[in-house]
Amino acid sequence: MAPPPEQKAPVGRYTGTRVPRVEDARLLTGAGTYVDDVVRPGMLHACFVRSPVARARFGAVDVSRALRLPGVHAVLTAHDLNPGVHEQWYSLNGRDDPDTPRPPLAEDEVRFVGDPVAMVVADDRYIAEDAAELVVVDYEPLPPVVDYAVALQSPESVHASHPGNLVGQLAGRPMADLGPVFDNAPHVVSRTLHQQAHGPVPLETRGIVAEWTAAPGEMTVWASSQAPHEVRSFCARLLAVDENRVRVVVRDTGGGFGQKVMPQREEMCVMLAAVRLPAALKWIEDRQEHLLAAGQARHEHGEVRMAFDDDGRILAATLDHVQDAGAYPTPSPVRSGIAVGLLFPGPYRIPEGTFSSRFVFSNTSGRVAYRGPWQFESMAREVVLDAAARRLGIDPVELRRRNMLRHEDLPTVNCHGMPYDHITPYETFEQALEMLDYPAFRREQEHARAEGRLLGVGTCTYVEPTAGATPFHSTEGATIRVEPSGKVSVHVAGGSCGNSLETTVVQLTADALGAAIEDVGTVQGDTAVTPFGGGTGGSRSGSMTAGAVAETAAGLRARILAIAAHRLEVSVDDVEFVRSRATVKGRPEHGLTLAEIADIAYFQVHALPPDLPAGLEASGRYRTPHPMIWANATHVCTCEVDPRTGAVKLLRYIVSEDCGPMINPSVVEGQIYGGTVQGIGGALYEHLAHDDDGNPLATTFMDYLLPTATEVPVIELGHVETHGPGPGGHKGVGEGGAIGSAPAVVNAVADALAPFGAEITRLPLTPATVVGLLERSGAVAV
Amino acid sequence: MKPAAFEYHAPVDPEETVALLARLGDEAKVLAGGQSLVPMLALRLAAFGHLVDLRRVKGLPGIEHRGGVVRIGATTTQAAVERSDVVRDAAPLLARATPLIGHFQIRSRGTVGGSLAHADAAAEYPAVALTLDARLETLSPRGRRTVPADRFFTGTWSTDLAEDELLTAVALPVWHRPRGFAVAEFARRSGDFALAGATVAVGLGPDRRIDRCAIAVFGLGPVPCRARAAERELIGREPTTEAAGDIADLAVSGLDSVPADLHGSAGYRKRVGAAMVARAWRHAVREAVHD
Repeated sequence: MAPPPEQKAPVGRYTGTRVPRVEDARLLTGAGTYVDDVVRPGMLHACFVRSPVARARFGAVDVSRALRLPGVHAVLTAHDLNPGVHEQWYSLNGRDDPDTPRPPLAEDEVRFVGDPVAMVVADDRYIAEDAAELVVVDYEPLPPVVDYAVALQSPESVHASHPGNLVGQLAGRPMADLGPVFDNAPHVVSRTLHQQAHGPVPLETRGIVAEWTAAPGEMTVWASSQAPHEVRSFCARLLAVDENRVRVVVRDTGGGFGQKVMPQREEMCVMLAAVRLPAALKWIEDRQEHLLAAGQARHEHGEVRMAFDDDGRILAATLDHVQDAGAYPTPSPVRSGIAVGLLFPGPYRIPEGTFSSRFVFSNTSGRVAYRGPWQFESMAREVVLDAAARRLGIDPVELRRRNMLRHEDLPTVNCHGMPYDHITPYETFEQALEMLDYPAFRREQEHARAEGRLLGVGTCTYVEPTAGATPFHSTEGATIRVEPSGKVSVHVAGGSCGNSLETTVVQLTADALGAAIEDVGTVQGDTAVTPFGGGTGGSRSGSMTAGAVAETAAGLRARILAIAAHRLEVSVDDVEFVRSRATVKGRPEHGLTLAEIADIAYFQVHALPPDLPAGLEASGRYRTPHPMIWANATHVCTCEVDPRTGAVKLLRYIVSEDCGPMINPSVVEGQIYGGTVQGIGGALYEHLAHDDDGNPLATTFMDYLLPTATEVPVIELGHVETHGPGPGGHKGVGEGGAIGSAPAVVNAVADALAPFGAEITRLPLTPATVVGLLERSGAVAV
Repeated sequence: MKPAAFEYHAPVDPEETVALLARLGDEAKVLAGGQSLVPMLALRLAAFGHLVDLRRVKGLPGIEHRGGVVRIGATTTQAAVERSDVVRDAAPLLARATPLIGHFQIRSRGTVGGSLAHADAAAEYPAVALTLDARLETLSPRGRRTVPADRFFTGTWSTDLAEDELLTAVALPVWHRPRGFAVAEFARRSGDFALAGATVAVGLGPDRRIDRCAIAVFGLGPVPCRARAAERELIGREPTTEAAGDIADLAVSGLDSVPADLHGSAGYRKRVGAAMVARAWRHAVREAVHD
């Protein structure tokens, strides 16, 4: 399939190559600038007093002893800060989206362990923590709604405004419509799968410095954020300060994974407090606060029903899905939550189906976005497909081959209206299986079973919308300036938090202009000098910045060529411009450097061609015409389960993906590795657990277990390349690794346990959980 | 995650150190490698008005092998133990347990005395000391004394040490040959505290039968625990791996205060503990038979 001409990858020297990351020199030598590295004159430090109980009413907060501690400047409560909120909504969702309650500090009632009740402001964080211990809050405990799965039936309400704890619900056609299909189907497989709460846990916790300059009424915010312009707009609305008087500076951000797409309650408190203080205010979240209060994700369950004919072909599939919103989700989960149902059919021919999703409050920390927020669609579908294969007595790979979308099926619209095109699920599936040598693994597994060893293989194939054109995300701008010296600066909104956006933009700009890459630098993350933009999120940055840079560079390149042609006294068509040098075709010795061209543009304006503006600077804005750009991948994983301890050892891990032409293979691989490891963590290790009273059980990294290098095998990558419809044919690749990995791992464990009839219904698959499955199936003695 | 204020002391002389401890009383805490204490202070799980740092105290670090005993000074780092040829040859169980402690960065700071005196229920060194019938040497204003390992560990994070008493060294008797040692533990991830672990030492007499045997489990109660009944059963027996399962079952059968948490129930931990005893038994016996 030949792509239309405008979709061709840019022919460039740098795009598609492993250009070393421009961020590395500073990050690897400890010279990065994270929020905690920001120091301002007289800067003060904040610490929050947090609720020790999941739900309680409280009256007046006694701050008197804390205030008497030397070095304490203020102890602020809801009474002080909350009335300062002018408007509070996110650009990503828009002003009119029905949102959930979000007070800066708790008012009258605390709703989860970690709920901020008061904020201490002191000379340093040590004093602030000392003072926080002196704040007296008289809690009157109330029965908490801890388990979202039964919250809809609870007589208690997390928010009085939402009796019954329902945030909202969405559904496709009525389930009853499909009754006849299921009633008449030769085989119906039904399973309920519960996924545990995860924390996004970026290496850099949340943090902010806010400095108010009273006389002109200006706010400067240094943030750890994926979306600097979202922070600026939010701050301006929150405080009723003109947007052009708020500047947000984000230099380095140590991971976001969706959690940092929007400011949360603590950031609101710092902004609100800063306007009352004589100096900048810094808050750096510590890891314990982070695990308590920075938000949870992935906590949901769903009942899947699939109907099959006698050949194993899917006749219909439904998903009844319930998701934990926690007490204070950021933002309301309802709008984005619809993706779980819409994407549930995945890369399969499913003629009929429907879904229902309910979003439920609980007295736990609020739900936040996390890398592939709709991931449960793949978890539910892929785990039940494997269960169905076992039920039908068909190899799970064979079952997928019979149902997976192939090239000749495309373009197509899934049964929930999702218009798939430019995807290759079947090609990635076969490539990954070939890399594994699937038949050889099955033989090895059989030999191992004969020796009492439990080996398993699991797969997950998914399609994923990237660069979705929600209003806030549908455009991206760039400003490119060729400096008088011939060096090039490209300004984009930024929001990089480890995703190499600086390298990407430098590569794209060097190619789009024809500049030598060492001449190009980029400025990102400072709202004072960058174009408005949506930040990183939704796997959008590759495609959108490619569009923005291409849009902007085209006109600038034409001006460079025109100046060169005029000075060289040849036609523009006879000028080549490569690696920052313009030459006359066929006469490489006859030319001008970009520095000489820039000198003409700025300092010899009389020598410019008539009608050409002086200077060499341009701004442009790309507006995507594509509602979304589809990407896809297959994950295949093998494992061995130790029946004595329940330990799962991953043996091989393979990803075959199609993100279109890669801008930088090293960056693409890094994104896939990182996402995959997070999914492995989700399947086997990470659990933001609570006890029955709502007390968090994982408040340090001793208990919230992240996979490390010793738990993760070498990840083998295969690429299938299909051009997407957007700029350069690039598709998003930031989130997919975290979508496909957990289901593949779960399926591998399920396959290892299959001889005993053990079926997985709850995650994560801790060693104790695996032993429990083996005990219940009678495989090992209790 | 900032500790409450404390006063820092860095004495250089052991007697001066214990005098300081006596003067400061329960307001003071000894700081060795800080790998457990400092995080607890930072999390404000513990607060002390005074920290008495041992890093400058003379005579506390060092490893020597003399008179059938390997003596390791309290502030010897775990990394030094890991690199020591003396420990490898004369106290192989200690050498093998050391790499299981945390990560190498932790072992560079963590000390032998710190680990023993902190007495975490899931730590390796207390189990090794108990298995090898180590003697713990202490100093207080009342003088020096020696405490056998089986009387030293008294509960979760508690020992026989008095407030003004300093652990100065651990003395590990060198076992005669042929002998075999093994440690086996199960942790969620490499470097985590064990959910359950076992240490085994087996000595053979001239008749190649078991004449000395020690089995300990850790992580399965407030203190590491010797499996005395199993040990008694084994004296005089042929060293075989066949009975590993039975020995393991016997070793965990009497445990009645096994912890439970997010990572596993008491039942699960006992099951894993038994698997670790069996694994360690097999390794130790194989080593003894071939020694």
